[in-house]
Amino acid sequence: MSSNRKPRGRIEVSAERMYELVRSPVITEKATMVSEHNQVVFRVPVDATKPEIRAAVEGLFKVKVVGINTLVQKGKTKRWKGQPGRRIDVKKAVVRLADGDSIDITTGV
Amino acid sequence: MDVVETKNEGLVRDYKVTVAADDIEKRVDERLAEVGKTVRIPGFRPGKVPLKVLKQRFGGSVMGEVLEATVQDTSRDVMTDHGLRPAGQPKIEIVSFDEGKDLEFDLSIEILPEIGDLGLAGIELERIKVVPTDAEIDDAIARIVQQNRETKAIETPRPVEKGDVVVIDFEGKIDDIAFEGGAGTGIRLEVGSDQFIPGFEDQLVGAEIGKQLDVKVSFPDDYNVDDLAGKEAVFDCTVQEIHEGVDVAVDDEFAKSLGMEDLGTLKVAVSEQLGQEYNRLTRERTKRQLLDKLAEGHDFDVPPRMADDEFDQIWKQIEQAKEQDQLDEEDKSKSDDELQSTYREIAARRVRLGLILSHVGESNELTVSQEEVNRAIMEQARQMPGQEQMVIDFYRDNPQASASLQAPIFEDKVVDFILELATVTEREMSPEELNKEIEAETAAADAKSSDKKPAKKKAAAKKAPAKKDAADKKPAAKKAAAKKPAAKKPAAKKPAAKKDDAKGKDA
Repeated sequence: MSSNRKPRGRIEVSAERMYELVRSPVITEKATMVSEHNQVVFRVPVDATKPEIRAAVEGLFKVKVVGINTLVQKGKTKRWKGQPGRRIDVKKAVVRLADGDSIDITTGV
Repeated sequence: MDVVETKNEGLVRDYKVTVAADDIEKRVDERLAEVGKTVRIPGFRPGKVPLKVLKQRFGGSVMGEVLEATVQDTSRDVMTDHGLRPAGQPKIEIVSFDEGKDLEFDLSIEILPEIGDLGLAGIELERIKVVPTDAEIDDAIARIVQQNRETKAIETPRPVEKGDVVVIDFEGKIDDIAFEGGAGTGIRLEVGSDQFIPGFEDQLVGAEIGKQLDVKVSFPDDYNVDDLAGKEAVFDCTVQEIHEGVDVAVDDEFAKSLGMEDLGTLKVAVSEQLGQEYNRLTRERTKRQLLDKLAEGHDFDVPPRMADDEFDQIWKQIEQAKEQDQLDEEDKSKSDDELQSTYREIAARRVRLGLILSHVGESNELTVSQEEVNRAIMEQARQMPGQEQMVIDFYRDNPQASASLQAPIFEDKVVDFILELATVTEREMSPEELNKEIEAETAAADAKSSDKKPAKKKAAAKKAPAKKDAADKKPAAKKAAAKKPAAKKPAAKKPAAKKDDAKGKDA
């Protein structure tokens, strides 16, 4: 298992991986609410780790990330022609930025 | 809102208007809040979308909307503040605007000229009363007889003559192949009535009953069936019967067959009908006189843009005529510049008359009621038998179309109103005298064509007004008076006059 352990702390992430990591901003009522606390919500790959996301957000938007919370929203179980199926899971990252930093989510990267 | 007058010249007023950026921003936010109540954006419950998100999504379009509304509101304010009565749409040009900056725009308004007392009572006009002569009545009855002619089969066999009605069977072939719609049996055809392809009927002359006959014709190039147009065809014809016309005696019996009591009432009815036609003619004439007098007696500035619009329309007409080489003889010899100045004068005159008429109508509170419009619609519907309902529906569904009907009604009412006020002398005349007079007038008008607008020209330029956009608020009434080449028959006059009457005036 040791080879599978995810690295912790500050890590290096390649530029391509950065663009993969930050898929899209989440624009919902809740996301707008947390933006009051200088937090931004992104959709990220399910296998993304917090250090990776931190590196990607800091690298792409040139901001300082104070903390990251992640969550995996499980896909709904759906039936299609009687067969059970599942929608894919979605991982979201709530990124808190340092005071004074901000990301304009509409401009894109 | 800041308003600075930059020009005050004649009928033109220019203003520079500035609206503060705050004002606009406030309006935008208000509008956005309104939009936010109903709009659905994924991720948000309806009505819960934050202003920030709304601004991102709809900022641009709302801004445009607000700008337009602001410009319109402020220009209306400018007009009411300065007490202006605009003629036509004001011209607005946005000088500068950017988000967060003041909006600045130029407003150019043409105002309606002041029309003082027109002195309508002082206008002297002459109305001609035409009484149809006996000869004319007899002519008209003869025509009715012709239309109601009966026919009967001839007793002694003889070849077909022109004017006979034949009953024929025929089968048409092109290159020995029968074509669709080319055959018929027991068809009644009046020889010489030109109902069939040209040449067909002529070849039937001399045919005898029961004998077979080949008729060779070629379809005209503009025949309405494309496959047949221009082709040579042979028709196998057999004449079954020959009918000849029976003269009908003009007597009480004949009158009864037309639904009249006796010959006397028929004559009265015919003479009334003729009288009406003449009335229309003379009314046109009186109207023309009136308009001429009005135009002569009142010379005020017309809003330049209105005149320009009018002129553009006429000019387009002329260009078209030129392209199709249908220009009036007299116009052909003129250069473009000369033409332009002539028509510019006409345009100004028309606008002036339109303004006078609408002024009279307004100041005397003449309006066109819905009832009158409905009557006009029915009138239109009657002219298209079989499609009445369609016509009525069309007008009901298109307010613009019925508005265009209003214009001539309004004009008629105004003219009637003026005629009542004016001093009108009546003169009785026979139809011939009237015709002669009209001819003389036309000739006179042609003779002095260069200084006064010739009648003919007006007719050529006339058709434009009908097309005028009815929605257009401009009271740019068109010149009335169907100045047709005058000496036309009264009967032919009717449809033409109708069309020419349709002016683009809006009440």
